[in-house]
Amino acid sequence: MESLFLQQTLNGLIIGSIYSLIAIGLTMIFGVMKIANFAHGDYSMVGAYTAVFFVAWVPGWFGWVGSILAAAAVVGVLGVVTERLVFRPVIGRWTDIDVIMVSIGLFILLENLAQLFFGATPRIISDPFKGATVNLGGLSTSVLRLFCLGFSCVTIAVLQIFLNRSKFGIAIRAASQNSFAAQLMGIDINLVYRLTFAVGAALAGIGGVLFGTTFAVHPIMGAMPTLKAFIVTILGGMGNIRGAIFGGFILGVAESLGGNYISMQYQHAIGFFIIILVLLVRPSGLFGAKEGT
Amino acid sequence: MKKFFIFVFHAIFLAGFSISAVPVSASEPIKIGILGPFTGSLAFNASEMRKGMELALDGVNSKGGLFGRQVELVFGDTEAKPDKGLAAVKKLVTRDNVLVVGGGYASSVNIATSEFCHYEGCPNVVAIAISPTITARGYDFVFRTSPNSPQFLEGVNEWLEKIKRPKTVAFFMENSDYGRDGQKIWEAQCKKLGAKVLGSFYFEIGSSDFTAPISKLKDLKPDVVFSIASTTEAALIQRQAKELNFVSQWIGVGGQFTEAFFEMTGPVSEYAMGSSLEPTKAMKDPITAAFVNAYKAKFPESRPGIFSSQGYDNLMVIVDAIKRAGEPTGNLVADRKKIRDALKVTDIRLSQGLIQFDETGQVFTVFPSPVQVQLDENCKPDTQIIFPPERAASEYQVPKPWAERRCK
Repeated sequence: MESLFLQQTLNGLIIGSIYSLIAIGLTMIFGVMKIANFAHGDYSMVGAYTAVFFVAWVPGWFGWVGSILAAAAVVGVLGVVTERLVFRPVIGRWTDIDVIMVSIGLFILLENLAQLFFGATPRIISDPFKGATVNLGGLSTSVLRLFCLGFSCVTIAVLQIFLNRSKFGIAIRAASQNSFAAQLMGIDINLVYRLTFAVGAALAGIGGVLFGTTFAVHPIMGAMPTLKAFIVTILGGMGNIRGAIFGGFILGVAESLGGNYISMQYQHAIGFFIIILVLLVRPSGLFGAKEGT
Repeated sequence: MKKFFIFVFHAIFLAGFSISAVPVSASEPIKIGILGPFTGSLAFNASEMRKGMELALDGVNSKGGLFGRQVELVFGDTEAKPDKGLAAVKKLVTRDNVLVVGGGYASSVNIATSEFCHYEGCPNVVAIAISPTITARGYDFVFRTSPNSPQFLEGVNEWLEKIKRPKTVAFFMENSDYGRDGQKIWEAQCKKLGAKVLGSFYFEIGSSDFTAPISKLKDLKPDVVFSIASTTEAALIQRQAKELNFVSQWIGVGGQFTEAFFEMTGPVSEYAMGSSLEPTKAMKDPITAAFVNAYKAKFPESRPGIFSSQGYDNLMVIVDAIKRAGEPTGNLVADRKKIRDALKVTDIRLSQGLIQFDETGQVFTVFPSPVQVQLDENCKPDTQIIFPPERAASEYQVPKPWAERRCK
């Protein structure tokens, strides 16, 4: 029984690390531009397909690590392009509905383009660890999953250093706190927008490769990560990066343990249940700023 | 310009009338209508069915046809949509004056088209659709040459009773009618066998992480896990069972065993089970083997699959019934009735086995065989029939712990 608890916690932490990685991009973009991007998970899908083709081109370990970089680059550029062509024209309007509608449109477009060009048959990114597994006491998992957990944590740490130490990172945080004041301080707000989208999308792309290697790659794989990223973002506080990091792990573990001890059938409903609780008690999210500040 | 269109319209209209007004003469070909989604997303599978029918047609016409007359197939495209299917079947029955409507693919389309045929008094022999509804409405002009969904699981149930006899089972199902209907059938079987159900878990279509439920299954240790899932989910479940070091006998319906599935799982899917009607797996049956060889000779580039075999059998059943009903007189109503009566007493051995209809028109003698995924010497997975002994190509293999498996 104890080992089952530990096993489910481990399962939750691993999946939670990928949730965090994808949700950070979503919350960054929301924090800076106030855009709720429903196409965010599809950046992961594009990243995963980039990896499918990169690995076919450069096989082995080198190819897999390369595919993560390639996915980050391709999806980063895609993020910049969509920011310029899709989102910039509609931000700053009197209602958010426009932004939400274009992002849903983008999500439908990307899914259908993927179906058109890559077909509906699921693909796999071959596991660089060749399916090796670890069995420790009663605990079992694959080497790949452990690697995903470690890699996500490292990526999140690097991002934290970037945001806290680099000039661009500080500009992003400043724009997130108050974009008008940031502009007054001489920050090029359009550059910050572009950068935020590039970094946010690239993180989703990396998450997509990890997700696609652990599971499978298909045109509609982006829907689930989008949903989870929104839950994590609301849970942690919209626009709060620390909230997204912890929110991801909390959601992963809650789903896993809740599935085990409450009901497997409601595993995916648990996230929404937590959201309702959090919104009742702390409407701005677990790590969000208090109302009025 | 407008006048021109009106003229063309009238011309077409009159032409249609004049053709249908011509009485059926003795030298005319015998016409059979064939429905199918020849365009659209199921077009590939429908073309397989059509190839099987062409093989059957060649066999009949090269031997002089029926009563010295050639047999002609008139195709109607349903696009796998009920409304298009209805339009197509109306044309076949009322304009082309076919004697019988055969073919058909997809349950929702055939539920509609078979109803039309019944009320028009035209025999309809459905080829590929598994919803029980099609033959369960008491329409006496409707027949089906493919097994329905409960029959699909019968072979596995017999194997469970005679060979496996599990003491404990668990369900891990797609949360849909497909999954839950299957669970009902298996639950009844478990009750009969006295097997204890340790747990029932459901997942949504499109889920990818199954580690929580599989960890739970590992804790419960069932002898058999029944799991109905489509290709992607089924493959991910097999892979994650390995990651979590969980061993059990997995049993599904069998529809998941596609090429994409094996590509995703590799040797990991070893020992998984399901049901199958693949003719290439039943080469012990001489009639099936003859069909496979004839098909390969006619279409060297393609592999005879379940749909080509179902298409072949469907047309052969129709031809057999027309033959027994006697030469068509030209009185369509009487001819169709005679063929319906002949269909009722069908008793013929074809590529899927013996074909006989019960009082609802449902074939009750074709059973998909239980198959198990086994590996060849290069660790390549493929399904093998393991039961009943007279059809089995291989012995059942008890799943081994992951550490002891030959292919990693």
